[in-house]
Amino acid sequence: MTDDSLTGRDLGTMTFPVDRSKVREFARSLGDLDEVYTDVEAARAAGFTDIPVPPTFVVSSAHWREEDNMVATLGLDLRRALHGECGWEYYGPVVVGDELTASRRVSGVSTREGRRGGTMTMVSIETDFTNQRGELVVRQTDVLVETGG
Amino acid sequence: MSSTPTATPPTPTSPVTLAVGDEMPVSEFGPLTRSHIVRYAGASGDFNPIHHDEEFARSAGMPGVFGMGLLHGGLLGQRLAAWVGLAAIRAYRIRFTGQVWPGDVLCFSGTVTGVREQDGEQLADLALEVTRQTGDPAIRATAVAKVAQCA
Repeated sequence: MTDDSLTGRDLGTMTFPVDRSKVREFARSLGDLDEVYTDVEAARAAGFTDIPVPPTFVVSSAHWREEDNMVATLGLDLRRALHGECGWEYYGPVVVGDELTASRRVSGVSTREGRRGGTMTMVSIETDFTNQRGELVVRQTDVLVETGG
Repeated sequence: MSSTPTATPPTPTSPVTLAVGDEMPVSEFGPLTRSHIVRYAGASGDFNPIHHDEEFARSAGMPGVFGMGLLHGGLLGQRLAAWVGLAAIRAYRIRFTGQVWPGDVLCFSGTVTGVREQDGEQLADLALEVTRQTGDPAIRATAVAKVAQCA
């Protein structure tokens, strides 16, 4: 169970490199053989300064978190917690060679009565990714749902 | 290798022309295998055992392991990029509506729900969906993409 006092809580900041091998691995794990994700010449021909990242690539920052037990940090019950939504707003390109800093915070908490009884709690988490020039390039918003117990 | 990547058309290099009702080319992925799931776990860093450890998944009350939502969310994202152009995507938002299981064949579709102008840019609003072979929706998504200015 969690409450409104969580809203605004800082969930930490970390920095990670956008690595060529990881971009290739990520695109191929999604069945995408577009050379733009593997070949710098193809990427430049497509108008990018270097190999760009797939739309959902920033989630791979999970590899760089020392401890990614967000559910427990928020006081949610792991057995009843679900990832309900995930979204990204794109403000600028992310390419191989960039170094991204991810800052995460709780942006909102709400509750409603679940269809099968009990109170559902929804926690929204915002993660801002800024590059080595301090430019906000991607904002990710996750909604975690704890179903009624 | 069981997780053979499938060809996706190259992402367009400039904004495409879209009108209300236009549809993303329908595509399929599957049958989904445990190798696909493990490969995405390594790529993404999602090592929640419920997605790769049968014993753990059953102890959590599931019939077995199932795909992480961001796997089929990512598969849909690649198709979105191949449709509208990677650099043209302004927003992409997915809502998970059901699990996907090994053996599933996933179907990806999308449609243009609106075209508008904002801050001097022509933007298209898109509705996207991932469904299982049973017809059950696994993801409902929306996206916003910059499109070519009307002539």
